[in-house]
Amino acid sequence: MILDKATFFHYNERSILIQFDVEINQKLLNNLLSFKNILFKSKPKQILQIINTYNSLLIIYGSTINNFYNEKNEVFQLLKTAKIEGKISSSVLQIPVCYDEEFGIDLHEISESKNMAISEIIKLHAEPNYLVHFIGFLPGFPYLSGLNSELFSRRKSQPRSKINAGAVGIGGEQTGIYPMSSPGGWQIIGQTPIQLFNQTKNESPSLLHSGDILKFEPISKSEYQHIENNLQDYELKKINL
Amino acid sequence: MSLKILKPGFFSSLQDFGRTEAMTSGVPISGAMDRSLAGLANSAVGNSKNSAVIEFFQQGLSLEFQKPTIIAVSAIDADIMLNDKPINILESVEVKLKDILKIKAMNSGLWGYVAVKNGFISESFYGSQSFFSPLTKANFNKNDVLDFKSFEDKFQQDSKPENNLDYDSEYLEVFPGVEFEKLSKTLKYQLKHAEFSLSKTTNRMAYQVQEKLDNELDEIVTGPVLPGTIQFTPQGKLIVLMRDAQITGGYPRVLQLTENSISILSQKSFKDKIRFRLIENNS
Repeated sequence: MILDKATFFHYNERSILIQFDVEINQKLLNNLLSFKNILFKSKPKQILQIINTYNSLLIIYGSTINNFYNEKNEVFQLLKTAKIEGKISSSVLQIPVCYDEEFGIDLHEISESKNMAISEIIKLHAEPNYLVHFIGFLPGFPYLSGLNSELFSRRKSQPRSKINAGAVGIGGEQTGIYPMSSPGGWQIIGQTPIQLFNQTKNESPSLLHSGDILKFEPISKSEYQHIENNLQDYELKKINL
Repeated sequence: MSLKILKPGFFSSLQDFGRTEAMTSGVPISGAMDRSLAGLANSAVGNSKNSAVIEFFQQGLSLEFQKPTIIAVSAIDADIMLNDKPINILESVEVKLKDILKIKAMNSGLWGYVAVKNGFISESFYGSQSFFSPLTKANFNKNDVLDFKSFEDKFQQDSKPENNLDYDSEYLEVFPGVEFEKLSKTLKYQLKHAEFSLSKTTNRMAYQVQEKLDNELDEIVTGPVLPGTIQFTPQGKLIVLMRDAQITGGYPRVLQLTENSISILSQKSFKDKIRFRLIENNS
């Protein structure tokens, strides 16, 4: 039972953090998202926001929690009765990525250090479905799981002072997309023309959300140009699982 | 156009109490560094505490009003001039066309606030007008303009609001952080009893502590953080996250400032002494 592995923390006056000491995987994410759902449904007036990360839920209340232990027990009871629903997306978002060496500025370095052909790196990166666990670090930046272990790569010893918005990279055991230009130490292997963060969207500025599944779709330089020139009309392809 | 920024000074911006709506998109909460003082400036002109105010950093801000209204300025101690005549902190003052407000000197603290009757009008993103790039510009620039509704009725200030935060105290109230219990006895003792001082690095994202401690904790699986979370880096640095902090982090979270302690700390500067007072029984 996952709740046996849960620890509650009185994070601050208005927040409770629940940490689950279990393996990080799709099942845990599904649990977290189902918990989030029941808490929002049961306490719509009290709860302002709930953040989930790999193994934690942070519940932010609109006012001070007067009695932490009472609130903790109430939350615990709610989670115990929660129905675990299918909260992980049933379709795969196709993120177009151009792996041309113009964008994939570290492909050579990885290819040499791993003694692996560039075409093989691209194949292995574009093959799996990746799960979006949460958005953090930068606005719109997805924390993904699913990277093939053969592609695990050390971060650059000298971080770059500027990585372009849309750059797709590998850092340690993770892969991700920079939603905006930023300093960074990841190995850059490609670039997507689509916007991961758009503050003019009313609902949510992030393109990706916790529970989404995505796949990188290799595109040529001319396709990249075409999508970039027609961004307004571009609709992300979704393929049902 | 209701007001023009003649001189923006450093890091001036528009702030209310921030946004939680877009946190799941990775957007920080933002909001006034010193919530208490921002709320008091609003109270002085009869606004709700979380109305948008101009936040300024030390001296240098200069504004020209192009509409009549009532204003109030809050700071711990500052010399504030309206058309070169001094005005008092937290006292509501009528302004008219062409009036110029200047923050001439900041005698204590770092951040202050200018409130206008009924608040400033600007685009709200996900429930807040607080500046945060890329939602808005990062800071005010010279000649920026800002809107508010003119106000010409009589206004009677209730009473001068009092700030009940003790800015002179070294003590900051803290909750134990999520990783606090993983610290060695020595480190726990040091965090509870040692005197620390602020480093030069102080901005809207984070303040840093000068002293380093020996850290034996590994990095953690990336988890949630909030303004006021004190992170402990592998190099032994203590980083206090402030209003514009990112919403997740990978360093152990050893302490968590209370809301009032965030406001108090925000006003402390380079070399100021701080001590942590742990809330032991937080039931």
